[in-house]
Amino acid sequence: MSPSRRRWRQLLGDTVVITGLGVFVIWTLAPIVWMILSSFLFQRALITKPPNLSADSFTLKNFQKVFEASDALINAFTNSAIIAGGTTLIALALGSAAAYALARLQVPAGNRIALMVLATQMFPGIVIIIPLFIVLTRFKLIDTHVGMMAVHLSFVLPIVIWILKGFFEAIPRDLERAAAVDGATTFQTFRLVVLPISLPPLFASAVFAFIESWNDFLFAVIMTRMNTKTVPILISEFQGNYQTAFGQMLAAATLASLPVIIIAIIFRRYILLGFSEGAIKG
Amino acid sequence: MLPALLVLIAVVLYPIGRSIVLSFQRVEAKGGRFEYTWTWLDNYRALFRDEAVSIALRNSLYFTALDVLATVGIALTVALLLNHRFGRAGIFRIVLLIPWALAPVANGVLWKWILHGNYGVLNAVLKELGLIDTYVNWLGEPSLALRMMLLADVWKSVPFIALLLLAGLQNIPGYLYRAAKLDGATLLQQFRFVTLPALRTPIAIAVVLQSIWSFKVFDLIFVLTKGGPGDGTLMLNFLAYRVTFNFLDFGYGAAIANLIFGIMFVLAIIFIRLIKPGAPRSRTA
Repeated sequence: MSPSRRRWRQLLGDTVVITGLGVFVIWTLAPIVWMILSSFLFQRALITKPPNLSADSFTLKNFQKVFEASDALINAFTNSAIIAGGTTLIALALGSAAAYALARLQVPAGNRIALMVLATQMFPGIVIIIPLFIVLTRFKLIDTHVGMMAVHLSFVLPIVIWILKGFFEAIPRDLERAAAVDGATTFQTFRLVVLPISLPPLFASAVFAFIESWNDFLFAVIMTRMNTKTVPILISEFQGNYQTAFGQMLAAATLASLPVIIIAIIFRRYILLGFSEGAIKG
Repeated sequence: MLPALLVLIAVVLYPIGRSIVLSFQRVEAKGGRFEYTWTWLDNYRALFRDEAVSIALRNSLYFTALDVLATVGIALTVALLLNHRFGRAGIFRIVLLIPWALAPVANGVLWKWILHGNYGVLNAVLKELGLIDTYVNWLGEPSLALRMMLLADVWKSVPFIALLLLAGLQNIPGYLYRAAKLDGATLLQQFRFVTLPALRTPIAIAVVLQSIWSFKVFDLIFVLTKGGPGDGTLMLNFLAYRVTFNFLDFGYGAAIANLIFGIMFVLAIIFIRLIKPGAPRSRTA
Protein backbone atom coordinates (compact mmCIF):
# COMPACT_ATOMS: atom_id res chain seq x y z
CA MET A 1 0.00 0.00 0.00
CA SER A 2 1.44 3.37 -0.97
CA PRO A 3 1.97 5.91 1.85
CA SER A 4 -0.57 8.36 0.41
CA ARG A 5 -3.22 5.68 0.16
CA ARG A 6 -2.58 4.68 3.72
CA ARG A 7 -3.03 8.29 4.77
CA TRP A 8 -6.35 8.45 2.95
CA ARG A 9 -7.53 5.29 4.67
CA GLN A 10 -6.47 6.69 8.02
CA LEU A 11 -8.38 9.88 7.31
CA LEU A 12 -11.45 7.92 6.25
CA GLY A 13 -11.30 5.81 9.42
CA ASP A 14 -10.97 8.91 11.60
CA THR A 15 -13.94 10.51 9.87
CA VAL A 16 -16.09 7.43 10.47
CA VAL A 17 -15.14 7.35 14.15
CA ILE A 18 -15.76 11.05 14.68
CA THR A 19 -19.10 10.89 12.87
CA GLY A 20 -20.02 7.84 14.94
CA LEU A 21 -19.13 9.60 18.18
CA GLY A 22 -21.16 12.63 17.09
CA VAL A 23 -24.22 10.51 16.30
CA PHE A 24 -23.81 8.71 19.62
CA VAL A 25 -23.66 11.96 21.63
CA ILE A 26 -26.67 13.45 19.83
CA TRP A 27 -28.76 10.25 20.08
CA THR A 28 -28.00 9.97 23.80
CA LEU A 29 -28.38 13.59 24.82
CA ALA A 30 -31.10 14.91 22.50
CA PRO A 31 -34.05 13.42 24.44
CA ILE A 32 -32.69 14.74 27.76
CA VAL A 33 -31.93 18.17 26.31
CA TRP A 34 -35.44 18.32 24.88
CA MET A 35 -36.94 17.38 28.26
CA ILE A 36 -35.01 20.14 30.05
CA LEU A 37 -35.63 22.68 27.28
CA SER A 38 -39.37 21.94 27.26
CA SER A 39 -39.59 22.45 31.00
CA PHE A 40 -38.49 26.07 30.47
CA LEU A 41 -40.99 26.84 27.70
CA PHE A 42 -44.39 28.50 27.89
CA GLN A 43 -47.34 26.28 27.04
CA ARG A 44 -48.12 28.36 23.95
CA ALA A 45 -44.58 27.78 22.65
CA LEU A 46 -44.88 24.03 23.23
CA ILE A 47 -48.14 23.67 21.33
CA THR A 48 -46.98 25.65 18.30
CA LYS A 49 -46.15 23.48 15.31
CA PRO A 50 -43.19 23.25 15.15
CA PRO A 51 -42.36 24.34 18.75
CA ASN A 52 -41.49 28.03 19.03
CA LEU A 53 -37.96 28.33 20.40
CA SER A 54 -37.54 32.12 20.21
CA ALA A 55 -36.08 33.90 23.22
CA ASP A 56 -39.40 35.15 24.62
CA SER A 57 -40.78 31.60 24.86
CA PHE A 58 -38.60 30.77 27.82
CA THR A 59 -39.86 31.00 31.39
CA LEU A 60 -39.39 29.69 34.92
CA LYS A 61 -43.16 29.56 35.46
CA ASN A 62 -43.40 25.77 35.11
CA PHE A 63 -41.02 25.16 37.99
CA GLN A 64 -42.73 27.82 40.06
CA LYS A 65 -46.12 26.19 39.45
CA VAL A 66 -44.82 22.72 40.26
CA PHE A 67 -43.61 23.97 43.63
CA GLU A 68 -46.75 26.00 44.27
CA ALA A 69 -49.11 23.19 43.31
CA SER A 70 -48.79 21.70 46.79
CA ASP A 71 -46.29 20.41 49.30
CA ALA A 72 -46.44 17.16 47.36
CA LEU A 73 -43.10 17.70 45.65
CA ILE A 74 -41.20 18.54 48.84
CA ASN A 75 -42.86 15.60 50.60
CA ALA A 76 -41.98 13.23 47.79
CA PHE A 77 -38.36 14.35 47.84
CA THR A 78 -38.24 13.89 51.61
CA ASN A 79 -39.79 10.42 51.34
CA SER A 80 -37.46 9.35 48.56
CA ALA A 81 -34.42 10.65 50.44
CA ILE A 82 -35.43 8.84 53.64
CA ILE A 83 -36.23 5.57 51.86
CA ALA A 84 -33.25 5.53 49.50
CA GLY A 85 -30.85 6.78 52.19
CA GLY A 86 -32.09 4.33 54.80
CA THR A 87 -32.09 1.40 52.40
CA THR A 88 -28.54 2.24 51.33
CA LEU A 89 -27.23 2.46 54.90
CA ILE A 90 -28.86 -0.79 56.00
CA ALA A 91 -27.72 -2.57 52.83
CA LEU A 92 -24.13 -1.40 53.34
CA ALA A 93 -24.05 -2.37 57.00
CA LEU A 94 -25.47 -5.84 56.39
CA GLY A 95 -23.98 -6.36 52.96
CA SER A 96 -20.35 -5.48 53.66
CA ALA A 97 -20.06 -8.08 56.42
CA ALA A 98 -21.83 -10.71 54.31
CA ALA A 99 -19.71 -9.98 51.25
CA TYR A 100 -16.53 -10.22 53.31
CA ALA A 101 -17.61 -13.53 54.77
CA LEU A 102 -18.42 -14.89 51.32
CA ALA A 103 -15.13 -13.67 49.88
CA ARG A 104 -12.82 -14.78 52.69
CA LEU A 105 -14.08 -17.07 55.37
CA GLN A 106 -14.62 -20.73 54.86
CA VAL A 107 -18.38 -20.45 54.87
CA PRO A 108 -19.89 -23.88 54.35
CA ALA A 109 -21.67 -23.86 51.01
CA GLY A 110 -20.31 -20.34 50.51
CA ASN A 111 -20.36 -20.52 46.74
CA ARG A 112 -23.89 -21.79 46.71
CA ILE A 113 -24.99 -18.91 48.93
CA ALA A 114 -23.16 -16.48 46.66
CA LEU A 115 -25.00 -17.87 43.67
CA MET A 116 -28.30 -17.55 45.46
CA VAL A 117 -27.53 -13.96 46.30
CA LEU A 118 -26.89 -13.29 42.66
CA ALA A 119 -30.00 -15.15 41.61
CA THR A 120 -32.16 -13.04 43.93
CA GLN A 121 -31.22 -10.04 41.85
CA MET A 122 -32.85 -11.66 38.85
CA PHE A 123 -36.18 -12.51 40.39
CA PRO A 124 -39.01 -10.50 38.94
CA GLY A 125 -40.11 -7.97 41.53
CA ILE A 126 -43.74 -8.91 41.00
CA VAL A 127 -43.14 -12.41 42.42
CA ILE A 128 -41.73 -10.93 45.59
CA ILE A 129 -44.13 -8.03 46.05
CA ILE A 130 -47.41 -9.96 45.94
CA PRO A 131 -46.68 -12.00 49.11
CA LEU A 132 -44.85 -9.10 50.78
CA PHE A 133 -47.88 -6.91 50.21
CA ILE A 134 -50.04 -9.43 52.05
CA VAL A 135 -47.59 -9.75 54.94
CA LEU A 136 -46.97 -6.03 55.25
CA THR A 137 -50.71 -5.38 55.18
CA ARG A 138 -51.07 -7.64 58.20
CA PHE A 139 -48.29 -5.80 60.07
CA LYS A 140 -49.79 -2.45 59.01
CA LEU A 141 -46.56 -1.52 57.23
CA ILE A 142 -48.11 -0.51 53.90
CA ASP A 143 -47.41 3.16 53.21
CA THR A 144 -44.63 3.40 55.82
CA HIS A 145 -40.95 4.18 55.36
CA VAL A 146 -39.97 0.99 57.17
CA GLY A 147 -42.10 -1.12 54.84
CA MET A 148 -40.60 0.52 51.76
CA MET A 149 -37.05 0.03 53.03
CA ALA A 150 -37.82 -3.63 53.68
CA VAL A 151 -39.06 -4.26 50.14
CA HIS A 152 -36.23 -2.25 48.60
CA LEU A 153 -33.69 -4.33 50.49
CA SER A 154 -34.88 -7.31 48.45
CA PHE A 155 -33.14 -5.95 45.36
CA VAL A 156 -30.59 -3.52 46.83
CA LEU A 157 -28.93 -5.89 49.30
CA PRO A 158 -28.00 -8.49 46.64
CA ILE A 159 -26.44 -5.79 44.43
CA VAL A 160 -24.36 -4.49 47.33
CA ILE A 161 -23.20 -7.95 48.38
CA TRP A 162 -22.32 -8.82 44.81
CA ILE A 163 -20.25 -5.71 44.09
CA LEU A 164 -18.43 -5.85 47.43
CA LYS A 165 -17.69 -9.55 47.17
CA GLY A 166 -15.81 -8.89 43.93
CA PHE A 167 -13.74 -6.18 45.59
CA PHE A 168 -12.94 -8.14 48.73
CA GLU A 169 -11.73 -11.05 46.65
CA ALA A 170 -9.28 -8.73 44.90
CA ILE A 171 -7.66 -7.57 48.16
CA PRO A 172 -4.35 -9.39 48.69
CA ARG A 173 -4.60 -11.86 51.53
CA ASP A 174 -1.12 -10.96 52.80
CA LEU A 175 -2.56 -7.79 54.26
CA GLU A 176 -4.91 -9.77 56.44
CA ARG A 177 -2.27 -12.36 57.29
CA ALA A 178 -0.08 -9.52 58.58
CA ALA A 179 -2.95 -8.36 60.76
CA ALA A 180 -3.49 -11.91 61.99
CA VAL A 181 0.20 -12.18 62.91
CA ASP A 182 -0.26 -9.03 65.01
CA GLY A 183 -3.02 -10.85 66.85
CA ALA A 184 -6.10 -9.20 65.31
CA THR A 185 -9.38 -11.10 65.37
CA THR A 186 -11.31 -11.60 62.14
CA PHE A 187 -13.66 -8.79 63.02
CA GLN A 188 -10.77 -6.46 63.93
CA THR A 189 -9.05 -7.29 60.65
CA PHE A 190 -12.24 -6.48 58.82
CA ARG A 191 -12.83 -3.22 60.67
CA LEU A 192 -9.27 -1.91 60.90
CA VAL A 193 -7.59 -3.26 57.79
CA VAL A 194 -10.14 -4.21 55.17
CA LEU A 195 -12.77 -1.51 55.64
CA PRO A 196 -10.42 1.52 55.36
CA ILE A 197 -8.99 0.38 52.04
CA SER A 198 -12.48 -0.55 50.84
CA LEU A 199 -13.91 2.92 50.95
CA PRO A 200 -14.05 3.32 47.15
CA PRO A 201 -15.95 0.04 46.64
CA LEU A 202 -18.24 0.84 49.55
CA PHE A 203 -18.93 4.15 47.91
CA ALA A 204 -19.51 2.50 44.56
CA SER A 205 -22.06 0.09 45.95
CA ALA A 206 -23.68 2.90 47.95
CA VAL A 207 -24.17 4.93 44.78
CA PHE A 208 -25.66 1.93 42.97
CA ALA A 209 -27.91 1.16 45.93
CA PHE A 210 -29.14 4.73 46.27
CA ILE A 211 -29.92 5.12 42.57
CA GLU A 212 -31.75 1.78 42.38
CA SER A 213 -33.83 2.59 45.43
CA TRP A 214 -34.56 6.17 44.37
CA ASN A 215 -35.67 5.10 40.89
CA ASP A 216 -37.89 2.17 41.93
CA PHE A 217 -41.42 2.43 40.66
CA LEU A 218 -43.00 -1.04 40.71
CA PHE A 219 -42.68 -1.52 44.48
CA ALA A 220 -43.52 2.10 45.24
CA VAL A 221 -46.70 2.09 43.18
CA ILE A 222 -47.92 -0.94 45.12
CA MET A 223 -46.66 -0.04 48.59
CA THR A 224 -47.26 3.69 48.92
CA ARG A 225 -50.49 5.62 49.42
CA MET A 226 -50.65 9.14 50.82
CA ASN A 227 -47.83 9.22 53.39
CA THR A 228 -44.83 7.79 51.63
CA LYS A 229 -45.29 8.76 48.00
CA THR A 230 -41.87 8.76 46.37
CA VAL A 231 -40.64 11.01 43.59
CA PRO A 232 -41.25 8.52 40.72
CA ILE A 233 -44.86 8.07 41.89
CA LEU A 234 -45.34 11.80 41.96
CA ILE A 235 -44.08 12.22 38.39
CA SER A 236 -46.33 9.46 37.15
CA GLU A 237 -49.30 11.18 38.81
CA PHE A 238 -48.24 14.50 37.39
CA GLN A 239 -48.29 13.12 33.88
CA GLY A 240 -51.70 11.57 34.56
CA ASN A 241 -53.38 14.59 36.15
CA TYR A 242 -51.74 17.33 34.14
CA GLN A 243 -51.85 15.66 30.74
CA THR A 244 -52.20 19.04 29.07
CA ALA A 245 -49.80 21.10 31.20
CA PHE A 246 -46.77 19.77 29.34
CA GLY A 247 -44.28 22.27 30.73
CA GLN A 248 -45.15 21.43 34.33
CA MET A 249 -45.11 17.70 33.65
CA LEU A 250 -41.58 17.98 32.24
CA ALA A 251 -40.44 20.36 34.97
CA ALA A 252 -41.48 17.70 37.50
CA ALA A 253 -39.66 14.99 35.55
CA THR A 254 -36.55 17.16 35.27
CA LEU A 255 -36.55 17.93 39.00
CA ALA A 256 -37.03 14.26 39.84
CA SER A 257 -34.17 13.10 37.63
CA LEU A 258 -31.66 15.75 38.61
CA PRO A 259 -30.57 14.37 42.00
CA VAL A 260 -29.63 10.94 40.66
CA ILE A 261 -28.05 12.29 37.49
CA ILE A 262 -25.94 14.69 39.54
CA ILE A 263 -24.99 11.91 41.93
CA ALA A 264 -24.07 9.70 38.98
CA ILE A 265 -21.87 12.40 37.42
CA ILE A 266 -20.13 13.39 40.67
CA PHE A 267 -19.43 9.79 41.64
CA ARG A 268 -18.82 8.52 38.11
CA ARG A 269 -15.38 7.20 39.09
CA TYR A 270 -16.98 4.87 41.62
CA ILE A 271 -19.76 3.81 39.31
CA LEU A 272 -17.34 2.92 36.54
CA LEU A 273 -15.30 1.07 39.16
CA GLY A 274 -18.44 -0.84 40.10
CA PHE A 275 -18.95 -1.78 36.47
CA SER A 276 -15.44 -3.06 35.92
CA GLU A 277 -15.10 -4.86 39.25
CA GLY A 278 -18.45 -6.11 40.44
CA ALA A 279 -20.61 -6.40 37.41
CA ILE A 280 -18.31 -8.28 35.11
CA LYS A 281 -15.67 -10.23 36.90
CA GLY A 282 -18.30 -11.39 39.37
CA MET B 1 -23.16 -12.77 57.28
CA LEU B 2 -26.07 -13.98 59.34
CA PRO B 3 -28.08 -10.73 59.56
CA ALA B 4 -27.87 -10.23 55.80
CA LEU B 5 -28.93 -13.82 55.23
CA LEU B 6 -31.91 -13.45 57.56
CA VAL B 7 -33.02 -10.30 55.75
CA LEU B 8 -32.68 -12.00 52.37
CA ILE B 9 -34.70 -14.95 53.65
CA ALA B 10 -37.41 -12.60 54.93
CA VAL B 11 -37.68 -10.36 51.88
CA VAL B 12 -36.72 -12.75 49.07
CA LEU B 13 -36.88 -16.45 49.88
CA TYR B 14 -40.04 -16.37 51.96
CA PRO B 15 -41.97 -14.31 49.39
CA ILE B 16 -40.92 -16.67 46.62
CA GLY B 17 -42.14 -19.69 48.57
CA ARG B 18 -45.32 -17.91 49.57
CA SER B 19 -45.96 -16.84 46.00
CA ILE B 20 -45.84 -20.49 44.92
CA VAL B 21 -48.33 -21.39 47.66
CA LEU B 22 -50.57 -18.45 46.71
CA SER B 23 -50.71 -19.58 43.11
CA PHE B 24 -52.55 -22.73 44.26
CA GLN B 25 -55.12 -20.72 46.21
CA ARG B 26 -57.97 -18.35 45.68
CA VAL B 27 -57.46 -15.25 47.79
CA GLU B 28 -60.30 -12.97 48.75
CA ALA B 29 -59.85 -9.65 50.50
CA LYS B 30 -62.65 -9.12 52.97
CA GLY B 31 -62.61 -6.00 55.10
CA GLY B 32 -58.84 -5.69 55.21
CA ARG B 33 -58.36 -9.42 55.88
CA PHE B 34 -57.41 -12.08 53.38
CA GLU B 35 -59.21 -15.41 53.12
CA TYR B 36 -57.62 -18.34 51.37
CA THR B 37 -59.20 -21.39 49.72
CA TRP B 38 -57.13 -24.13 48.12
CA THR B 39 -57.99 -24.42 44.46
CA TRP B 40 -54.83 -26.33 43.45
CA LEU B 41 -54.27 -26.15 39.71
CA ASP B 42 -57.23 -23.90 38.88
CA ASN B 43 -55.09 -20.78 38.49
CA TYR B 44 -52.67 -22.54 36.17
CA ARG B 45 -55.50 -24.02 34.13
CA ALA B 46 -56.93 -20.53 33.78
CA LEU B 47 -53.52 -19.35 32.59
CA PHE B 48 -53.78 -21.50 29.48
CA ARG B 49 -57.31 -20.37 28.66
CA ASP B 50 -56.71 -16.68 29.29
CA GLU B 51 -56.30 -14.78 26.06
CA ALA B 52 -54.66 -11.84 27.86
CA VAL B 53 -51.88 -14.19 28.98
CA SER B 54 -51.14 -15.38 25.47
CA ILE B 55 -51.18 -11.80 24.14
CA ALA B 56 -48.87 -10.67 26.96
CA LEU B 57 -46.56 -13.62 26.46
CA ARG B 58 -46.33 -12.96 22.74
CA ASN B 59 -45.67 -9.25 23.29
CA SER B 60 -43.08 -9.99 25.98
CA LEU B 61 -41.18 -12.42 23.78
CA TYR B 62 -41.28 -10.11 20.75
CA PHE B 63 -40.24 -7.12 22.83
CA THR B 64 -37.43 -8.99 24.57
CA ALA B 65 -36.00 -10.49 21.38
CA LEU B 66 -35.86 -7.18 19.50
CA ASP B 67 -34.79 -5.22 22.58
CA VAL B 68 -31.82 -7.49 23.20
CA LEU B 69 -30.80 -7.51 19.56
CA ALA B 70 -30.96 -3.73 19.16
CA THR B 71 -29.49 -2.88 22.56
CA VAL B 72 -26.50 -5.22 22.34
CA GLY B 73 -25.85 -4.27 18.70
CA ILE B 74 -25.89 -0.53 19.36
CA ALA B 75 -24.02 -0.92 22.64
CA LEU B 76 -21.25 -2.88 20.93
CA THR B 77 -20.88 -0.12 18.34
CA VAL B 78 -20.79 2.52 21.08
CA ALA B 79 -18.24 0.53 23.09
CA LEU B 80 -15.98 0.18 20.03
CA LEU B 81 -16.22 3.93 19.40
CA LEU B 82 -15.42 4.77 23.02
CA ASN B 83 -12.47 2.39 22.96
CA HIS B 84 -10.99 4.25 19.97
CA ARG B 85 -8.37 6.85 20.85
CA PHE B 86 -10.80 9.68 19.98
CA GLY B 87 -13.49 8.22 22.22
CA ARG B 88 -11.39 7.83 25.35
CA ALA B 89 -12.18 11.31 26.73
CA GLY B 90 -14.05 11.11 30.05
CA ILE B 91 -16.87 13.29 28.75
CA PHE B 92 -18.23 10.40 26.64
CA ARG B 93 -18.57 8.21 29.71
CA ILE B 94 -20.46 10.98 31.48
CA VAL B 95 -22.80 11.16 28.48
CA LEU B 96 -23.43 7.42 28.88
CA LEU B 97 -24.21 7.69 32.59
CA ILE B 98 -27.03 10.20 32.10
CA PRO B 99 -29.68 7.93 30.52
CA TRP B 100 -28.56 5.12 32.81
CA ALA B 101 -29.20 7.17 35.96
CA LEU B 102 -32.46 8.68 34.69
CA ALA B 103 -35.44 7.32 36.60
CA PRO B 104 -37.38 4.88 34.37
CA VAL B 105 -40.56 6.82 35.11
CA ALA B 106 -38.94 10.05 33.94
CA ASN B 107 -37.84 8.14 30.85
CA GLY B 108 -41.47 7.24 30.25
CA VAL B 109 -42.68 10.82 30.68
CA LEU B 110 -39.88 12.04 28.43
CA TRP B 111 -40.77 9.69 25.57
CA LYS B 112 -44.48 10.25 26.00
CA TRP B 113 -43.78 13.91 25.33
CA ILE B 114 -41.41 13.25 22.42
CA LEU B 115 -43.94 10.86 20.84
CA HIS B 116 -46.99 13.04 21.49
CA GLY B 117 -49.34 12.81 18.51
CA ASN B 118 -50.05 16.54 18.27
CA TYR B 119 -47.14 18.36 19.86
CA GLY B 120 -44.39 15.74 19.92
CA VAL B 121 -40.98 16.85 18.75
CA LEU B 122 -40.46 13.64 16.78
CA ASN B 123 -43.36 14.58 14.51
CA ALA B 124 -42.08 18.16 14.22
CA VAL B 125 -38.57 17.05 13.27
CA LEU B 126 -39.71 14.40 10.78
CA LYS B 127 -42.14 16.85 9.17
CA GLU B 128 -39.47 19.58 8.87
CA LEU B 129 -37.16 17.04 7.25
CA GLY B 130 -39.95 16.10 4.87
CA LEU B 131 -39.97 12.47 5.97
CA ILE B 132 -43.67 12.48 6.91
CA ASP B 133 -46.56 14.50 5.49
CA THR B 134 -48.92 14.39 8.44
CA TYR B 135 -48.33 13.94 12.13
CA VAL B 136 -48.28 10.32 13.27
CA ASN B 137 -50.03 9.16 16.46
CA TRP B 138 -47.07 7.04 17.56
CA LEU B 139 -48.75 5.52 20.61
CA GLY B 140 -52.22 5.27 19.11
CA GLU B 141 -51.85 2.07 17.11
CA PRO B 142 -50.99 -1.26 18.80
CA SER B 143 -47.99 -2.53 16.85
CA LEU B 144 -46.56 0.96 16.32
CA ALA B 145 -46.89 1.69 20.04
CA LEU B 146 -44.99 -1.49 20.86
CA ARG B 147 -42.17 -0.50 18.54
CA MET B 148 -42.02 3.00 20.01
CA MET B 149 -41.77 1.48 23.48
CA LEU B 150 -38.89 -0.55 22.14
CA LEU B 151 -37.18 2.65 21.00
CA ALA B 152 -37.56 4.22 24.45
CA ASP B 153 -36.25 1.11 26.20
CA VAL B 154 -33.29 0.64 23.87
CA TRP B 155 -32.29 4.26 24.37
CA LYS B 156 -32.28 3.75 28.13
CA SER B 157 -30.61 0.32 28.09
CA VAL B 158 -27.70 0.96 25.72
CA PRO B 159 -25.49 2.83 28.24
CA PHE B 160 -25.24 0.05 30.82
CA ILE B 161 -24.53 -2.62 28.23
CA ALA B 162 -22.05 -0.34 26.44
CA LEU B 163 -20.14 0.22 29.70
CA LEU B 164 -20.13 -3.52 30.32
CA LEU B 165 -18.76 -4.28 26.85
CA LEU B 166 -16.29 -1.38 27.08
CA ALA B 167 -14.79 -2.90 30.22
CA GLY B 168 -14.48 -6.15 28.26
CA LEU B 169 -12.76 -4.38 25.35
CA GLN B 170 -10.27 -2.76 27.70
CA ASN B 171 -9.26 -6.16 28.99
CA ILE B 172 -8.05 -7.27 25.55
CA PRO B 173 -4.25 -7.08 25.61
CA GLY B 174 -2.83 -4.71 22.98
CA TYR B 175 -0.24 -7.20 21.79
CA LEU B 176 -2.98 -9.32 20.22
CA TYR B 177 -3.77 -6.46 17.86
CA ARG B 178 -0.09 -5.78 17.16
CA ALA B 179 0.43 -9.45 16.35
CA ALA B 180 -2.62 -9.43 14.07
CA LYS B 181 -1.31 -6.33 12.28
CA LEU B 182 2.08 -7.96 11.78
CA ASP B 183 0.27 -10.86 10.16
CA GLY B 184 -1.33 -8.33 7.84
CA ALA B 185 -4.87 -8.56 9.20
CA THR B 186 -7.26 -5.85 8.02
CA LEU B 187 -9.38 -3.91 10.52
CA LEU B 188 -12.32 -6.15 9.78
CA GLN B 189 -10.23 -9.28 10.29
CA GLN B 190 -8.88 -7.88 13.56
CA PHE B 191 -12.46 -7.37 14.73
CA ARG B 192 -13.54 -10.82 13.58
CA PHE B 193 -10.59 -12.80 14.92
CA VAL B 194 -9.37 -10.78 17.92
CA THR B 195 -12.14 -8.56 19.26
CA LEU B 196 -15.18 -10.80 18.88
CA PRO B 197 -13.65 -13.96 20.40
CA ALA B 198 -12.29 -11.95 23.35
CA LEU B 199 -15.72 -10.39 23.88
CA ARG B 200 -17.60 -13.67 23.80
CA THR B 201 -18.26 -13.84 27.53
CA PRO B 202 -19.12 -10.13 28.02
CA ILE B 203 -21.49 -10.28 25.05
CA ALA B 204 -23.15 -13.43 26.36
CA ILE B 205 -23.55 -11.81 29.78
CA ALA B 206 -24.97 -8.69 28.14
CA VAL B 207 -27.50 -10.75 26.18
CA VAL B 208 -28.72 -12.64 29.24
CA LEU B 209 -28.85 -9.57 31.51
CA GLN B 210 -30.68 -7.52 28.91
CA SER B 211 -33.18 -10.35 28.30
CA ILE B 212 -33.94 -10.42 32.02
CA TRP B 213 -34.44 -6.66 32.14
CA SER B 214 -36.49 -6.47 28.95
CA PHE B 215 -38.71 -9.23 30.25
CA LYS B 216 -39.32 -7.26 33.46
CA VAL B 217 -40.22 -3.96 31.79
CA PHE B 218 -42.99 -2.28 33.77
CA ASP B 219 -42.48 1.45 34.37
CA LEU B 220 -42.46 2.30 30.66
CA ILE B 221 -45.74 0.47 30.04
CA PHE B 222 -47.32 2.08 33.07
CA VAL B 223 -46.44 5.60 31.96
CA LEU B 224 -46.66 5.30 28.17
CA THR B 225 -49.67 3.13 27.42
CA LYS B 226 -50.98 1.19 30.46
CA GLY B 227 -50.84 -1.83 28.15
CA GLY B 228 -53.00 -0.33 25.42
CA PRO B 229 -54.14 0.45 22.85
CA GLY B 230 -56.22 -2.73 22.81
CA ASP B 231 -53.64 -4.76 24.80
CA GLY B 232 -51.12 -3.97 22.05
CA THR B 233 -48.37 -3.27 24.57
CA LEU B 234 -49.56 -5.59 27.31
CA MET B 235 -46.66 -7.61 28.69
CA LEU B 236 -46.51 -10.30 31.36
CA ASN B 237 -45.14 -8.19 34.19
CA PHE B 238 -47.79 -5.54 33.70
CA LEU B 239 -50.53 -8.17 33.38
CA ALA B 240 -49.49 -9.75 36.69
CA TYR B 241 -49.66 -6.32 38.31
CA ARG B 242 -53.05 -5.55 36.77
CA VAL B 243 -54.57 -8.88 37.78
CA THR B 244 -53.23 -8.65 41.33
CA PHE B 245 -53.61 -5.03 42.29
CA ASN B 246 -56.40 -3.79 40.02
CA PHE B 247 -58.58 -6.92 39.85
CA LEU B 248 -57.38 -7.99 43.36
CA ASP B 249 -57.02 -11.61 42.23
CA PHE B 250 -53.90 -12.41 44.27
CA GLY B 251 -53.85 -16.13 43.56
CA TYR B 252 -54.11 -15.77 39.79
CA GLY B 253 -51.67 -12.85 39.85
CA ALA B 254 -49.19 -15.06 41.69
CA ALA B 255 -49.63 -17.76 39.03
CA ILE B 256 -48.76 -15.28 36.26
CA ALA B 257 -45.84 -14.00 38.34
CA ASN B 258 -44.60 -17.57 38.67
CA LEU B 259 -44.76 -18.02 34.92
CA ILE B 260 -42.46 -14.97 34.59
CA PHE B 261 -40.34 -16.38 37.38
CA GLY B 262 -39.94 -19.69 35.56
CA ILE B 263 -38.81 -18.03 32.34
CA MET B 264 -36.40 -15.71 34.15
CA PHE B 265 -35.08 -18.53 36.27
CA VAL B 266 -33.89 -20.28 33.14
CA LEU B 267 -32.22 -17.07 31.99
CA ALA B 268 -30.61 -16.61 35.41
CA ILE B 269 -29.17 -20.12 35.34
CA ILE B 270 -27.66 -19.44 31.92
CA PHE B 271 -26.19 -16.21 33.31
CA ILE B 272 -24.66 -17.95 36.31
CA ARG B 273 -23.17 -20.64 34.10
CA LEU B 274 -21.59 -17.92 32.00
CA ILE B 275 -19.77 -16.09 34.77
CA LYS B 276 -18.96 -19.12 36.97
CA PRO B 277 -18.59 -17.12 40.16
CA GLY B 278 -16.61 -18.43 43.10
CA ALA B 279 -14.01 -20.16 40.98
CA PRO B 280 -10.54 -19.05 42.13
CA ARG B 281 -9.15 -16.35 39.86
CA SER B 282 -5.80 -18.06 39.42
CA ARG B 283 -7.45 -21.15 37.99
CA THR B 284 -9.65 -19.26 35.54
CA ALA B 285 -6.86 -16.94 34.39
